[in-house]
Amino acid sequence: MTASEGGTVLIVDDDREVVRTYRRYLDETYTIREAYGGEAALDELDDDVDVVLLDRLMPGPSGREVLDRIREDGYDVRVAMVTAIDPDFDIVDMGFDDYVTKPTTRDELRRTVASLLELDQHAVDVRQYHSLLVKAAALREGKSTYELDENRAYTDLESRISDLEATLDDEAERLVDDSRFVATLRAIDTAAKREDADG
Amino acid sequence: MAEGDARADCYPLADALPVDLADLDPGTNVLVSGPSMSGKRQLVFDLLAPTGVTADPVIVMTTDDPASRIRTGFEDRGVRFDPTTFRVVDATGAPGDSEPAVHRVSSPADLTRTGVAFTQAVDEMGTPDRLRLGFVSISTLLQYVDAERAFSFLHVLSRRTSAAGYLGVYSIDPTTHEDRFVNVVTSIFDAAIEIRERDGDRELRVRGPSDVPPEWTPFPY
Repeated sequence: MTASEGGTVLIVDDDREVVRTYRRYLDETYTIREAYGGEAALDELDDDVDVVLLDRLMPGPSGREVLDRIREDGYDVRVAMVTAIDPDFDIVDMGFDDYVTKPTTRDELRRTVASLLELDQHAVDVRQYHSLLVKAAALREGKSTYELDENRAYTDLESRISDLEATLDDEAERLVDDSRFVATLRAIDTAAKREDADG
Repeated sequence: MAEGDARADCYPLADALPVDLADLDPGTNVLVSGPSMSGKRQLVFDLLAPTGVTADPVIVMTTDDPASRIRTGFEDRGVRFDPTTFRVVDATGAPGDSEPAVHRVSSPADLTRTGVAFTQAVDEMGTPDRLRLGFVSISTLLQYVDAERAFSFLHVLSRRTSAAGYLGVYSIDPTTHEDRFVNVVTSIFDAAIEIRERDGDRELRVRGPSDVPPEWTPFPY
């Protein structure tokens, strides 16, 4: 995902009418991909996809099986299960990042996608925060406070660090939600693994 | 010795520290740092279950000592190994029998599963209003994941417990890492308790809380 676009959402459902509706809800903000079954979903999936809306019950591989494949392959993607019934099982334990109950509204679907992208951003921000702290620590080594105050690069770094700190603190309240907390950790995990695989 | 009465809602420390610090605010995260054999694990346990203080629910996350050793450590202090108030997230990957108070994770490198195990432990304890979380140890975690992932995990975990009003106590052996990493990871925490040895004597200082001078204080074994 680049800053200039809203992100890419893959909609997976064997009911074409449902896919069309979700597309209408989302396509003004996001790039949309579609799949009408589990195998097609895996074909459509690549590193450009940010969020998958995955129907739980489909002919062929079920939503659960598709999810397992996505996790095994280590895609850095957030997955929301779309289900006709309230999940009576632990979505956190299963590896989903969120869920949507059918029939869903435009607002609910948009809120779910936005929330998953924010969570992704949180993972990116934490890693960015770490990298800035490492840079600041490196600049501090062997320098006096006076030298640092006069050092433009250092003062810029310090202000970026405190901005990020404020952003991360604003997000902290939301981590009390179990699925959000775990999904954030998963976003950190998958981003790192994806990098290892690329490098 | 700790003086003054502990404040309501805070986490009392009794005499765990040789400085004038009676309690810690809800949501505080503390780093306990010291070389090996300096007794830092003991101090982590002291901060989680101080003697003479009404026990709070405790979760110990370990990448280091298997659950059985954590259990012994606490039972020696008279803490009951009761799953309603005490649980261990054992991420050492060591095999062990299934028991209600222990949540096993196959490897310290599986940060997501460790997080899942933590949420399950909290849920199964009835999501208490107060809880003390221990993490031993950051140094072992770093043998399995790179600095960036370890940092990110610790940041997210500590902010989550903070938002819930819990107390977090984490240990690190600074002599096994670059100074730069130790400096960076320390910035996650509200307070750092450092242990060192000088001519065979143990000393301790607390950095962070504004009302405690950051001076080295004798801390006999």
